[in-house]
Amino acid sequence: MLESLYLVYAIFGFFSLGAISSLFTRGKKQHVYFAYIPAAIGSFLAIVLSLIVFTSEDIHITLGYQQIFDFEIFIDGVASFFILIIGLVSFAVSIYSLSYSKKFDDKKNNSNLGMLFNLFIISMMLVITSNNVFFFLIFWELMSLTSFFLVIYEHENENNLKSGLTYLVMTHLGTAFILTSFLFMYAQSGSFSFDSFRDIGIIPDYVRDIAFILAFIGFGTKAGIVPLHIWLPKAYASAPSNVSALMSAASLNIAIYGIVRYLFDFNSIDDSSHYLWWGLAIIVIGSISALVGVLYALVERDIKRILAYSSIENVGIIFIGLGLSVVFASFNLTSLSVLAFVASMFHTLNHAIFKGLLFMTAGSIHYSTHTKNIEDLGGLIKKMPWTGLMFLIGTIAIIGLPPLNGFISEWLTLQSLLSVFQIPSTILQVSIAFASLVLALTMGLAAATFVRLFGISFLSKSRTLKAADAIEVPRFMLAGKAILASSCIVLGILHFIGINLIVTAFNLPYTPLSPFEPLSIIGEDGKSFASLMMPTVLIILFSVFVSIFVLVKIMGGKTSIKKYNTWDCGFGSLSERTQYTATSLAEPLSRIFAIFYKPKNEIIRYFYSEQNQYLKKSINVKFSTRNIFEEFYDLLISISLSVLNKIRKIQTGKVNVYILYIVIALLSLLLAAGSGIIG
Amino acid sequence: MILPTEINVLDISAAILLVATFGLIVRRGFSNWVHAYRYQTIVLAGIVALIALITDIWELYIVSALTFGIKAIVIPKILFYVTKKLDSPIKLETNPYISMKLSVIVSALLVAMSYFIFLQLNIESNEIIQVFLPVSFSLFFIGLFVIISRRKALNQMVGLLTIENGLFLFAVSLTHGFSLIIEIGLMADILLGVIISSILLFRMSKTFDSIDIKNLESLRDD
Amino acid sequence: MDELSFTGIIFGISQVLLLVSLSPLIVGIMRKTKAKSQKRIGSPIIQPYFDIIKLLRKDEVISEQSSWIFRCTPWINFVTAVSVAFFIPVSLIYSPFGVVGDILLVVGLFGLGKFFTILAGLDVASSFGGLGSSREIMFSALVEPALFITIFVIAIFYGGTNISTIVSSANEISFLAAPGVLFALIAFFIILMAETGKLPFDNQSTHLELTMIHEATILEYSGKSLALIEWSQAIKQIILLTLFVNIFIPWGIADSFSWSQIGFGVLLVIVKIISLGILIAFIEIRIAKWRLFRVVDLIAISIASSMIGVIFFFI
Repeated sequence: MLESLYLVYAIFGFFSLGAISSLFTRGKKQHVYFAYIPAAIGSFLAIVLSLIVFTSEDIHITLGYQQIFDFEIFIDGVASFFILIIGLVSFAVSIYSLSYSKKFDDKKNNSNLGMLFNLFIISMMLVITSNNVFFFLIFWELMSLTSFFLVIYEHENENNLKSGLTYLVMTHLGTAFILTSFLFMYAQSGSFSFDSFRDIGIIPDYVRDIAFILAFIGFGTKAGIVPLHIWLPKAYASAPSNVSALMSAASLNIAIYGIVRYLFDFNSIDDSSHYLWWGLAIIVIGSISALVGVLYALVERDIKRILAYSSIENVGIIFIGLGLSVVFASFNLTSLSVLAFVASMFHTLNHAIFKGLLFMTAGSIHYSTHTKNIEDLGGLIKKMPWTGLMFLIGTIAIIGLPPLNGFISEWLTLQSLLSVFQIPSTILQVSIAFASLVLALTMGLAAATFVRLFGISFLSKSRTLKAADAIEVPRFMLAGKAILASSCIVLGILHFIGINLIVTAFNLPYTPLSPFEPLSIIGEDGKSFASLMMPTVLIILFSVFVSIFVLVKIMGGKTSIKKYNTWDCGFGSLSERTQYTATSLAEPLSRIFAIFYKPKNEIIRYFYSEQNQYLKKSINVKFSTRNIFEEFYDLLISISLSVLNKIRKIQTGKVNVYILYIVIALLSLLLAAGSGIIG
Repeated sequence: MILPTEINVLDISAAILLVATFGLIVRRGFSNWVHAYRYQTIVLAGIVALIALITDIWELYIVSALTFGIKAIVIPKILFYVTKKLDSPIKLETNPYISMKLSVIVSALLVAMSYFIFLQLNIESNEIIQVFLPVSFSLFFIGLFVIISRRKALNQMVGLLTIENGLFLFAVSLTHGFSLIIEIGLMADILLGVIISSILLFRMSKTFDSIDIKNLESLRDD
Repeated sequence: MDELSFTGIIFGISQVLLLVSLSPLIVGIMRKTKAKSQKRIGSPIIQPYFDIIKLLRKDEVISEQSSWIFRCTPWINFVTAVSVAFFIPVSLIYSPFGVVGDILLVVGLFGLGKFFTILAGLDVASSFGGLGSSREIMFSALVEPALFITIFVIAIFYGGTNISTIVSSANEISFLAAPGVLFALIAFFIILMAETGKLPFDNQSTHLELTMIHEATILEYSGKSLALIEWSQAIKQIILLTLFVNIFIPWGIADSFSWSQIGFGVLLVIVKIISLGILIAFIEIRIAKWRLFRVVDLIAISIASSMIGVIFFFI
């Protein structure tokens, strides 16, 4: 316990060191090493710390003098699981940043990035370790502010400032909800410590409900649930890519951490049907987020915005798992609840890994091509082979194809959906079964999104010179990505690692898997409902490959390969402009889901002369889609602006009018006090 | 999981009836609808015979035969005649109010809804009621939905007939039929209704050169 | 049943070999059926074998624009298709490798193959490839929910997603006892047509840019790669047919490990697959290619059908 405490201090120390030393080395070329090497060490120690906590006991220390300002460090399995995620991602991102932040070398305040980066990571870890409301909120705020400054790091661009402001407003909205929720809990427990929330005893159901709804909205804003997701694509797209990787892969998980704490720690979800509607609400919100997120990812053209929308989608999938877990628990189906919970947490872990990887790759693309628009890219796999390979790994993982990690967590989520027939309520069974359509559609569309992203940006001919002149990124950037890419592979093939990790971290009633055991689900009748053994699958794949290879060699004999032009129907050479574009690739789907996009196809014809409409000079086709959510928020903003404009008339600027206001306020207060409304 | 091991005739006939009803939604051609209606009615007649077999009420056999004779032979004949005689060149529903793919999904949801409604009803149930009552609701709702979502007047007729089939199944499964004379009266009624509406359809086709019900708007007195 | 015994492994591998070697035959039979019913003589039934062997011996021409994705796609397609065959019970109610993977893994592995096919279509920088990929993306994204809810129906009726469990319970309780499966059958049949690229979804025998989907993505392949792609497509088709046959009409399948039963089971399953193939060929003759956006209606029918299947199970 004491060693772990020193480890906590060491982690804190390294990040502080990184923050301070990067400030002191301002303007020097070496500042990157001073900023990111401590961060990498700190993150590595965080991984070690969480592993120690898994194997030994929880850390629970109080540092402080007065009761309310006690800084309580509390690291249990739940916290250490999330610390592990953050540690893993920030370790990879720190190494990546060693090269990536050279991109900003010519900026005056280049060392600020390093400082904020360190502060951001440590504030995230502190949020998770703090065990009372006061410090939780302080660090939460620190996290929000540092990430805000990171989002507007490239503030020369007007758009980045705008998206930063949206982020700031939305995240504070969320904080307000969380704060209110904590106040409700405080009113019942009488203490700001999370411990008192845990053994709060019996409180009225409506208080529990209100506190949960508020917390769900608050944390949900941070997680980007629809319709509170509006800030997320903007902020992720504006931030430097290493920061977007951190925000998506680490700070998003803090929101999930908050909800998990609320659901399973502060409220012990049990078989009272009271919690049923919580679970259903989470499933509904999760399904909507998943579908809407992926639908907008599908037509987006900015790499980082695609990834951001896909984060919304994955949060949705995580929430579907969480909600199912609550629903199962409320019917006292413990083993199914565990299954859904493992699915959800496994997906959290996976999402952190592959989304971190993909954001870093997006950063690499931006680093060497200076563009984020996929319509300008193409052919990058030949210019940046390693980046391409890692992007491919991330892509396969995120769309949930075997043999990578995404498949395992989606398999688990689907299995927990399939087990819904054990719920003893017909209407619920059928509705959840129908809701699973949404999840399946989401998965299909996610595959479409990422095929499009990878295919357009990495394959075929380079569409512009920017892409044609791209070169492979420096080694540190590759190393950072390689860490996460290899985690994708390891967690996919050796799935027992991830599952055992979650089972021990959350102390679930489930015996850990042995490496040679299939991951299996036993049905009610004792028959095997489903089973999966990825290592054997891999062996089969590999041996099939070897035998096929030999067979083809024997049957086919020696053949040669000739390189030649692509088939052009004999019309002459194809140019990069004859290729399919990202927009045209997604056009059929955008017509099918027209209700979300309201696609518009404008054809403008130019003629040599207006009289003769047969000779066309050129034809312009403009295909555009709209985002109904952004339009909704625009409407909201314009309404509130007009309301506020009316209120502005109160501000006359004359001193005597203001005095009048004061007098009115005073009089009404006095009257209220006199009539006993106040006090 | 407990599954019945013997062949479950009632459930299968209900399933076939639903499939036949869906033929109405997934097809676009005028004659396809009439075909769909005919198949649906044939299955319905079979179901009535099945109920007769189970409950041992001999009148139901007659009802079944009547259903088959009038609704599966005579009415489709009339409707085919109408389709053939219409002068509209394209005998297809080209542009329904609700797209085909959506209306299929909506119909499935309607079937789910009718089962939910049945669950809420708490009727003292025997097996026949349990199987056929929700199906009769589904027929009713799908018929209504067809009337709402389609443009062509012929489809409105078929939708109406489907509703009627639903009500008929409802009555037969719940009360094992009214007395025979009422059934005969009902059949005659339907037959008359079909004939009258066919005549109206001809008139409409003559007046507007189309059987799109949008044209009926112009009859409004503005 | 859960043990991976030596006999079991040998038996499993021989089943895979059976499927792999029979797959071009089914293609040949379906082509012949179509030809006969169109009053053509048609190529011999074993023509697909000749095609594959001929193509394997030919030199390849590949596009200059293409990358290693294009080169490895045929291999990935073939390897995933053959690996899937390991998990499918053919003549016995369980597959010796059944415990390794379930139907979701099968879907995933097919998905991996399709993923690379779509990428290969984009890789060659021609507009045909992009066109095929775009349509393939659309279909596979929309088929996904239909497929999942169909699996849902089958899984809840037959107690699992393990294909061995499914087939053994399907053998015990025919779908006449569980009419909801009837709806799953309709849905699965539509998905089968979509996944194997049959009319009205796709017409694999033409190279017309208005209609082609799968052919457009593999337009640039030649020689050895083309042979692998064609063969893996045939394997995928026979696997889906076997799944269909064994899930919905499993009568006569061997339910214990005895040679006489298995021999009978093998014969029966081949007969069933061939008749299903002929049936599909007849259906293909009767209908024309549908407009791209109308095909979505068919997928919607499949979804709706499975939805009703779900209702039938729960009520």
